This record gives sequence, structure tokens and C-alpha cells, in this order.
Amino acid sequence: PLPPLPRPHPAKGIHKCRKMGQDIRNTVGNVPMEWYQDYPHIGYNLDGKKIFKPIRNKDELDEFLDKMENPDYWRTVHDKMTASDIRLTDEQVDLVHRLQKGQFGDVNFNEYEPSVDFFTNEVMIHPVTNRPQDKRSFIPSLIEKEKVSKLVHAIKMGWIKPRKPKETTPQYYDLWAKEDPNAILGRHKMHVPAPKMRLPGHEESYNPPPEYLLTEEERLVWEQQDAEDRKLPFLPQKHSCLRAVPAFSRFIHERFERCLDLYLCPRQRKMRVNVNPEDLIPKLPKPKDLQPFPTTMSLVYRGHTSLVRCISASPTGQWLVSGSDDFTVRFWEVNTGRCMKTLEVGGAVKSVAWNPNPAVCLVAVCFEHTVLLLNPSLGDRLVVSSTDQLITAYEPPEEDKEQAVTWALSEGLEHNKGHRLTLTHPKAVKQVVWHGKGDYLSSVMPDNSSNLQVLIHQVSKRRTQNPFRKNKGLVQCVSFHPLRPYFFVATQRYVRVYNLIKQELTKKLMTNCKWISSMAIHPGGDNLICGSYDCRLAWFDLDLSTKPYKMLRHHKKALRGVAYHRNYPLFASGADDGSVIVCHGMVYNDLLQNPLIVPVKVLKGHQITHDLGVLDVTFHPTQPWVFSSGADTTIRLFT
Amino acid sequence: MSQLQTRFFTDNKKYSVDDVPFSIPAASEVQELSNVINKLLEAKNGSHSQIEFDFLVRGQFLRTSLSNHMEAEGISTEDVVEIEYVERFTAPQPEECMMHDDWISSVEADSEWILTGSYDKTARIWSLEGKAVMTVAGHTDVVKDVAWVRRDGLTSLLLTASLDQTILLWEWNSERNKLKARHCCRGHAGSVDTIATDPTRTKFCSGSWDKMLKIWSAVATEEEEEVEEPPSRPRKKQKTEQLGLTRTPLMTLSGHNEAVSSVLWLDSEEICSASWDHTIRLWDAETGSVKTTLTGSKVFNHISYSPLCRRLASGSTDRHVRLWDPRSKDGSLVLLSLTSHSGWVTAVKWAPSHEHQLVSGSLDNLVKLWDTRSCKTPLYDVSAHEDKVLCVDWTDSRRQHTSNTLTHQACINLERQQHTSSLD
Repeated sequence: PLPPLPRPHPAKGIHKCRKMGQDIRNTVGNVPMEWYQDYPHIGYNLDGKKIFKPIRNKDELDEFLDKMENPDYWRTVHDKMTASDIRLTDEQVDLVHRLQKGQFGDVNFNEYEPSVDFFTNEVMIHPVTNRPQDKRSFIPSLIEKEKVSKLVHAIKMGWIKPRKPKETTPQYYDLWAKEDPNAILGRHKMHVPAPKMRLPGHEESYNPPPEYLLTEEERLVWEQQDAEDRKLPFLPQKHSCLRAVPAFSRFIHERFERCLDLYLCPRQRKMRVNVNPEDLIPKLPKPKDLQPFPTTMSLVYRGHTSLVRCISASPTGQWLVSGSDDFTVRFWEVNTGRCMKTLEVGGAVKSVAWNPNPAVCLVAVCFEHTVLLLNPSLGDRLVVSSTDQLITAYEPPEEDKEQAVTWALSEGLEHNKGHRLTLTHPKAVKQVVWHGKGDYLSSVMPDNSSNLQVLIHQVSKRRTQNPFRKNKGLVQCVSFHPLRPYFFVATQRYVRVYNLIKQELTKKLMTNCKWISSMAIHPGGDNLICGSYDCRLAWFDLDLSTKPYKMLRHHKKALRGVAYHRNYPLFASGADDGSVIVCHGMVYNDLLQNPLIVPVKVLKGHQITHDLGVLDVTFHPTQPWVFSSGADTTIRLFT
Repeated sequence: MSQLQTRFFTDNKKYSVDDVPFSIPAASEVQELSNVINKLLEAKNGSHSQIEFDFLVRGQFLRTSLSNHMEAEGISTEDVVEIEYVERFTAPQPEECMMHDDWISSVEADSEWILTGSYDKTARIWSLEGKAVMTVAGHTDVVKDVAWVRRDGLTSLLLTASLDQTILLWEWNSERNKLKARHCCRGHAGSVDTIATDPTRTKFCSGSWDKMLKIWSAVATEEEEEVEEPPSRPRKKQKTEQLGLTRTPLMTLSGHNEAVSSVLWLDSEEICSASWDHTIRLWDAETGSVKTTLTGSKVFNHISYSPLCRRLASGSTDRHVRLWDPRSKDGSLVLLSLTSHSGWVTAVKWAPSHEHQLVSGSLDNLVKLWDTRSCKTPLYDVSAHEDKVLCVDWTDSRRQHTSNTLTHQACINLERQQHTSSLD
């Protein structure tokens, strides 16, 4: 940069000269001059007049100009007391130099004058003092003794510790000691090499083989093409010798393009997240490892003449009962498919339920307005006779209470057919279900308008009660908890769990289904499945949430029946598409582990009749077998 | 590899040929080999008539061409192949059809008579010609199993087990055709599904749905035994007691976790039982303790034991007939699976006089005759039945087997082998 132009500054020089002559002395004494910062003056002179600050303070620029222009700048000092610049005289400068060198200020002072020793270094026969030595120089010092004894005491008491040995390890350390010498360093790892230039080929030769030379047509085409479309950016040319090769006219152009290539080349690795879609699917065990489960159709129970609405297996697993629209209830031997008994009832059988208590041989059948308790006389004779005794042993209470249903004991011919008790309901009964102990049973009469929808009956006392005071919606099905005194009521969209002892609502499960068709409770009691007419199956973990833990949409059509197996971790669902889907549903004792649900098998066999497929499913109580009843008048056993 | 060096041999001296190697086309099948043997026999003996033979290479029946068989079995074609030939077992033909009114649950045949149990609550005795000789009526429920106990000339003892939880011991005089119920065996708390008489013919064992096995005495005695009826028994039971003296079990074997489906005696000290709990158990009949447990993966329907080859055959609720070695200490080893059925195997029975043959009946309406030397395919399918096959049996001496079916007319079919050999 050019030096700034010199500027005249006349006022300065005059001011300085004027100051030089005068003796301006500040009388404020040795006080910090900052005290006068905010005042226009800086102190008082000998006459008691204010010494004013210069009107304009020098700023950095003035200072700089001064430094550049003033040849005496180096010997100018600022006097804070007077706020004036003083140019040092030659003598003063000399003095400063001398002081800087460590010399005396006075020029005339000779520091190297010969010295005269006052005391000689030689021992004279007459000492300067002849004072005898002190006694204390012969006896041990009391003070020292005291100090030493204190130290000794402190050492004994352990107050003073021996000095730590000095650490000899160096303070610094090897920063890269832990680094693998063979590893590629980070900055090298991310190294992206510059794009390489294409190596020249034969067509770039000064004397290319004739096949690389373009013909006339090709040349014309080349010339008509856009520069970007051309296969070669140049025309191969033949020269007789290297000498004849002209200067490369595209040199600058080509270099520029190369620079562009380098400049525009992305020098960063793109971190692409490669997610294998397989990894996102949860790991489920193979169905092969989850055996046993039913796989093939083994037996077909034929005999009904209309669609079989409901089936139930005896607690021992020897018998199966089925109810059909042909107004009959049939009893089957499970392992042969033999129909052991056929009972005519007065209506299409809507639901059958075998008493789950193995010590009682009773089957509840419901049709139209009636729930019928049958003794099929199958199985152990003792159990059969004790069941009859249990029913006949009833003694009517003193005062007769008005009940919602009428209990009637069957006699004569009906008794011989197996009828025991008839419960006549005021409305059509849709479902009947037993409590696990086998004394209570519940019947469902769906009705949108009254609170008389669910009734709980006690067989041994022939008592009936209506547990609900309000109508909370059309009841679809009910179920007892297998272990605890809970009662599940499924309406169209919700499943309500009632505590029968406290007589209160415990939980309300939201199924997210449009219309529930069936429900089953896990034998452990903490899980529940709901089938719905909108093709869904909802699994609820009652400990987890009131929302479904899992929704399964395996069926193509409306679900009609769902069932859990009593011992095996299996559940099945039957639907109008004629298939039964068996799933592995493992429930763990560990509360932290969620149930494992794996669909394992689609069982087909039922023919679809009148758009109805499978109407009910139930498991064999001891074997991993599933029964399904269908609209094609058959019951099928899958093993 | 067009020719193979073979050497033929047989156990039957009647058909033996010279022990010299022959060169045989590798692609030849059973028919060609049979022709070769017949030619050789004709050359040796002018009066020889054509006979069909079957061929065994290293104990396996030849069913495809010789080269394919050897490739599948991994037999070297470099050496001389030893081929055993036996007279072909001809296909069983249905001989008699015995019609029942109802399903037949069990059949047991001996050299003269055939005993069947039926779902119409009766058992029947038939002659081998298919004539109903006697109807054994007395049970109040379905007869589930029948068994012969002994036949001393004209009088014979027989057993019927029923769903009404009793077993009846009958005495039958075949000359006068008189039947008398001697004993009523009570004690089971479920339907008695299976009974078996021991080799000494003095005891029998029964298995029931109530998971128990009970051993009873099979000797008919005249005097009242240990019957002390509690007075509070219902009247109905006492009525049925008129059929015979009540008998109580000698011993009860408990250990199965599910219903017992089949029971048999291995010898006079050992009982073998199969159950719905997927196990076959071997019991000591003296002490009543379990000796061995063979564990399967499916419910067992029926078992059979052959003293000739000491193998146990089992039919279960899948498609396979499995062979077991009851003596093996390591327990649950299946020796062989015979797979050809397409439904549950409900009945298996070893041939009484042939150590390799057994029949099996299945819910797929077929009875199959197996040879253990050809485990991939059965020797013959007997498809005479139109419904589920529930039980099969062989007649004793003349190599027949009877099997039993469920049709709406319910018939017993009796298939008889064509007699072609002078053996037996």
C-alpha cells in the first residue's frame, strides 16, 4: 500500500513550542489522574488556576500520523499530570539510555574508583573485638531441642509423613499409542480420489489405424451432432509423421473441462442407509418348530341334515356334542366318528355347552326360548348316576321368589331321553355357557331394548339372577373367567369385564371391530380373543391394555367362532370362508414378555353353503386336535 | 452299465438253481428276472410250470428296475450281485362278507371261529364260511373289544368288553350252541376299550378310558368269589349282575396319563399297552411296575407284537405304521416307518406265521398288507371296504386275515390268500 500523503499540522508545532518554555506544574499531587477523567481540567497550577485538558484528544489516527511524520516521535513522552507531550532533550535521552544500561545517572560519577578496605582480610594479631565466645555456642540449643522434639512427636503421631517419592513418569503421553498402526486413518478412510481421466486410445493417435478414422458420412453426422451427443469430442486425424502434428487447439478447453471435473466432483461419500426389508420383519419361529398343532383333516362326523351351529367336547375328550338347525342334538364318539345318540329338540339349536366339571355329566342346550340341561348318559356310570342324584336332590326353598325364568324338571319319556331340567326364558336364547366349576351357567338373550339380556343360573339351587340393571348395548356373547370371579360380556363393539364379587365394572376393552361374533378366554385368564364379523380377530392382553395387543386379519370373511386350547398354546378361528386358522399363541409367565402369536396352519375342508362356512370351532381337551362344524352339515376333526 | 453279474439263491429247495453267476441286463425288472428263473427251472426240470417270483437284493424287495434299485440302495455294480428269490405272495382276495347291522368294533379269529364285537351291543360268533353261529347279547352298551380265552374241544371261553364299563366272560359250547355268561368283571370307571388274554390262558388284561390297566383271572369258577356287595348300590346295577358272578381285578396298573387304547401280552410276565398319552408302556405283570416307556408323538390307536421277529407295530393318529423294538433299552427308537395310508391307522396286526408280514387298517377305507423288507410300498392294498376300517385280524393256521369295516350295511370282509405253496 502506498504511504498516506503527508499532511501539514501547523497547530501542533506551535503548541509544542509554547509549552516547552513554560513550566506548567500540576499541584494535585500523586493522585490517580483518572479522577479528573470527567472534568475539563486536569489539575491546578502553582497559581491555583485550572490546567485545562487539550481541547482535542489525540486519537489513534493522529497518533499514527504523528508516529510517521514526527522525526522526534520516539523521544516524545506523554505527561499525564499535565496531559501534554514533552519532547525529551538530548541530555534526557542520554540519561534514559544510561539508566537502561544500568549505569549511574550522573555522568560524572566514577563507579570504578579504587576502594580502600576498612577491614583487612588478613588475621591481625590484634583482633577488632576480643570478646570471648558465648556459652550458648558450646551447649545444645534449647529452642532447637524443642523444635526437634515437636517434630519427633509429630512423626510418632503420624502427623508428618515421609515425603512421597517423586514421580519419574513423564508428564506427556503418546496420543496415538492406542491406535492400530495398520488401521486406515479416518481422513484416509474418507478419501475420495479425483476422477481419473480417460486414457487416450487409438483414435487419439497421430496415425490411427484406418478403422478409427471417420468416413465422410460419419464425419458429416459428427459435425451435425450436438457437442454433447458426440461419441468423440474430436475428429481422429491421420498424420504422416509426428512432425506434421499441429498444435493441439483444444488444449485450453480440455484443461478447463478437467478443472471443472475436479471442481464439481463430489468429494464426500454419500452415507446411504441400506436397510434390508427382511430385517424389519419381526423374527418369528417357523411353524415346523411349534408342533404339535392340527395339520390334516382326519375324521368327518356326518349325520346332521342341516347346518351345524355349535359343538362342544366333553371334559374327558371322549365325546362331542353338536347342535344343528335340523332340530337335533347329536352325541359323537370322538375317535371313530360314530354318532352315539340323537336327541330331537323343539327348535334350531343355537348353542351347546358340555359341563366342564368332569364329575358332572350335563350338557346345556339352547333353542328358541329354552335352555335344556341334558344328561347324555355317556362316560362313567357313576358320574352319570351322581349327576342325576344331584338334580333330584334339590329341595325347593320355603318362600318362592319370582324368577325371570321357569325351572321345570323333566319326567317320564323326556327323562328317559335324557332331559333333566328345562329353563324357559322370556325371550329367544342365543348362547349358553358354563362356569368352570360347573354349577353356574349363563344364558344370553340379545335384546336392544331391555336390561334382561344376560342371566346367570345356579343349577344346584335352581336359582336365576339378572346381574345387570342397565342395557349397555346388544350383548353378543358372555364368558366366565376360568379362575377368578370375573364375567366377560361382549356387546357389539366392546367387551366389558365385571367383577362378580364386588359387582362392578373392572375393564372395558375396545375391540376396534364393528361387530363382535365370538369370544374366548385363555385358560390362564389374562388373555382374550375376539372374533368379529368384519374378518378380524383381536387378541387382548388384559394386563397390558384395553386396546388389542394384536389384530389378525387372516380370514377373508366374517369370523364365526374362536377357541383356545386348554393345555397347548394354540388357538383357532373359523370363518365364513370355510377355513379354520390355527395359530400358536404362547403366553409367558414372565410379565415382561409379550405373548408370541404365530399363525401355523390354515385348515380347509368345509364346503361353503349359503355363504356360510365354518360356524363353530372347539379344541379337544387333551390332544392338539381341533373340531369345526360347518354349514355343510358336517363336523370335521383336524389332527 | 448294461449287464450285471448276478447270482441267484433261495431258501426253498424246490426252486433252487445252480450257484453260478449270470449276466443280466441292468434294466431288467421283476418280471424279466422271474422269467429267467422259470427258464432255468424248466431246463432243470421238464415238468416245471410257470411260477411268479419276487426278488430281494440285500433284504429289500425289488420294485423298480435292478439298476435303479441298486443306485437307490447304494450297492456297487462292480461285484456279483446276490439276489434272493422267493415265491411271490399272491394278492389277497375277499372271500366272505359277513354282514352286520351296525358298525363292528373288533374282530378276533382263531382256526375255526371268528368272533366280532359290534356297536349294536352284541358280539357274534361266525364260522369261517361266514355263517353266523351265535349272537352274544348281554351288554348294555357298545361292545368295544372281544377275545378268545381258550378252546377245549367243544367248550370255549370268550371275553367281551364294552362301553358299559364291564367285561363279560362267556362259556360257549359249540356243539350244543349254548352260551352262558360266567363272570362279569367290574372295576373300570370308563369304557373298556381293549382286552388281551395272556399266553397261559389263565389271565387277561384290560385297558380302559379311565387310564387304568387291570389284570383279571380268566378261569371260570363256580363258587361266589370275593363279592361283598355294598347295600347302597343302585338297583340297576344289580340287575345286570344276573349275567354272571361278579369278579374283581387281580391287579390294577396305573401310570398312563390318558386313555389306554390297546393292550397285549408280550409273554406271560410282560404286558404292553398303548395309550392316548403318546406312550407305549411295558409292564411287569407280576409286580405291576412300568419297565420301559416308548414315547411317540401322536396318539396310539393300536399295537401288535410278533413273537417271530420280536417287533412291535403301532398304528397312531397319523398316516404311519411304526415298528419298535420293545427290548431296546434306549426307549423311544422307531425302527421303521411304513407310510402309505392317508388316514389314521386304526389297526395293525402281525402275521401269525410269517415274520415279515403285517396288515394295517386305516380310516382311509384301505387295508394294506406290508412286508417289512419293502418298507416304501405295501405288498398289496385291499380296497374291498367302503368305509372306515376299525380292526383287522389274521386267522391262525391258514393264512387268512379278516378285517372289519364300517359301512352302512356293515360287513365283515374276509380275505383269503390263494393257496399256492405247500408250506404251512
